Amino acid sequence: MKAITIIKQSFKAIFANKGRSFLTTLGIVIGIGSVIALMALGAGVKTTISSRISTLGTKNLIIRSGGGLSQNAASAHMGGGASGAPGPTAQEGIGGGSTSTLTTADLATVRDKKKNPYVKMAVGTVSGSAILTTTAGDNRFSITGTEPDHFKIQNYSIGKGAFFSQTDVDNRAKVIVLGSQAATDLFGSKAAVGRDLTISEAVYKVVGVLKKVDESGFTNPNNQAYIPYTAAFDSFQVEKFSGMTALVTDENRVNDAKASIQKTLLANHGIKDKKLADFNVNSSADLLSTVSSITGIMTSLLSGIAAISLLVGGIGIMNIMLVSVTERTREIGLRKAVGAKTGDILGQFVVEAVLLTLTGGLLGIGLGYGIATAAGKMLGFAPAVTPNAIMLAVGVSSIVGLVFGIYPAAKAARLDPIDALRYE
Amino acid sequence: MSENVIELKGIQKVYKTGDEDTAALAGLDLNVRRGEFVAVMGPSGSGKSTLMNIMGLLDRPTAGSYMLAGQDVSRLSVGKRAAIRNKEIGFVFQQFNLLPRTTVRENVLLPTIYGKDKQAAQRVDRIIDEVGLSDRSKYRSNQLSGGQIQRVAIARALVMEPSIILADEPTGNLDTKKSQEIMNLLKDINAKGATIVLITHEESVAAYADRVIRLIDGVIAGTEAAS
Repeated sequence: MKAITIIKQSFKAIFANKGRSFLTTLGIVIGIGSVIALMALGAGVKTTISSRISTLGTKNLIIRSGGGLSQNAASAHMGGGASGAPGPTAQEGIGGGSTSTLTTADLATVRDKKKNPYVKMAVGTVSGSAILTTTAGDNRFSITGTEPDHFKIQNYSIGKGAFFSQTDVDNRAKVIVLGSQAATDLFGSKAAVGRDLTISEAVYKVVGVLKKVDESGFTNPNNQAYIPYTAAFDSFQVEKFSGMTALVTDENRVNDAKASIQKTLLANHGIKDKKLADFNVNSSADLLSTVSSITGIMTSLLSGIAAISLLVGGIGIMNIMLVSVTERTREIGLRKAVGAKTGDILGQFVVEAVLLTLTGGLLGIGLGYGIATAAGKMLGFAPAVTPNAIMLAVGVSSIVGLVFGIYPAAKAARLDPIDALRYE
Repeated sequence: MSENVIELKGIQKVYKTGDEDTAALAGLDLNVRRGEFVAVMGPSGSGKSTLMNIMGLLDRPTAGSYMLAGQDVSRLSVGKRAAIRNKEIGFVFQQFNLLPRTTVRENVLLPTIYGKDKQAAQRVDRIIDEVGLSDRSKYRSNQLSGGQIQRVAIARALVMEPSIILADEPTGNLDTKKSQEIMNLLKDINAKGATIVLITHEESVAAYADRVIRLIDGVIAGTEAAS
């Protein structure tokens, strides 16, 4: 009865100054909103990336050069330009200045059954890009230099024409296989096979178009083009692979294969300390845990920054509660005269502050959900507002109200009724 | 013979201002019988307000004893005094009697929030009717006239059925006609058995009381029965 009356009165007091109450809670709304949005986006990004990583195949090992292509130098005299590494981390494309370290000799040793008994197949890849003229104007396409086994490892099947052959690789043949989307972009509805494309001043003949495949990893194979790696060496003026992909014989042998490949390559490169390796070998499980920890760190970092606005919001609440206590000094005096005890007044103002922040928290959940949904739509993944995040928001906003409401409330409760009644 | 609701003996209240001690009340004795209507008069600085605050348990005397409804209340803690104010004392102030933006009924119910008397809330409509505001019980305090505000304050003072009603210049902000109405209402309530102590500086208001006490310099200078 008493509690309900106090909550009712608090609502009344809050609604009596609608505009002020709203502005006061805005800090909390924004704080909680951004924490919720960031947590939801973080969870969404993680889910999306995780599902993409799992499509990479649980039996594949991805070997990448320690740094990636020195694409600044490469693109300068290449026109098309070799850009970035094929790997899932974008940092290599940004960094520049690092070099490919994986040689054809390395590839041969990785394939060596004596050294790597659990490696069923392995291919080297060279990543580059070129500007090609599409039906809708010029566009930059990712081009992967590789071998026919690449299509087997990735489970790609041919739609029209054929994959290029090992002979094409050996002959440094200027032939190209297009992803389904790339073919449509370049030639529209017309047949792509048999047409010519110019990459870094060399004319490539289209020999095949892949069937549409599900997006996997961090690249969309449908938008890619594939050429023999030897041709890629020529066109991109490189001599080493930017990466390799190895198919392991058995899912249970992934870690064994990873260890043996590491050992082989370290020996090839004459590096004794594993930490100094100029390459890295990752399974999809490794990538998954890396991504989890990165998104986890990013989410908590950003949420932490957003939480600062909660602190600021809390100070705003305290400020306005102090104003409210001063304005309502005579009301407090009157309440005390008719029998309100110190605890009653304390309770009333704390409840008011908590209701303010809690309302702000609930609005913030709505705002955060809205932002996360809108951002998810734009970026193309589903954000996840978890019950945990909502409970956290409700809890945190209540605690903010409690912490920042207690001082003004104590000030109100300590007022002397005689002074309070006489207050002008 | 009727019992005393209020027994004040040797009440002193000394305020320290710098090095000087100022006695607002200098050993005051006063008894108020149950059902009595007493007016306290005196010039400003005579100690009226201090007396009111001590009788209303808003303040503690420096010395002396105070028996309220047979209970020694001279040296009680803040919390105990709040409980006794709630149960035994009904206040009617000169101004700021009501909570803003709050209905008549909710204002009258205010003391019941802080009290243990479960029946108090059931009396509210009868009491609002007694002060002549039953048609206005849903009105908010800002929709009421000065006279109506004082009626609500009187209703609130009655709701806990206190031993004593303390009215501090209840007609101070009202015109003559409204003052008369309020004084007639207080007189009616007194006739129904309520004990009232009224503080005023107006002779015409004091004339409604059974007994007028004149305060000068913190002591009772004279007592007279009203005509």
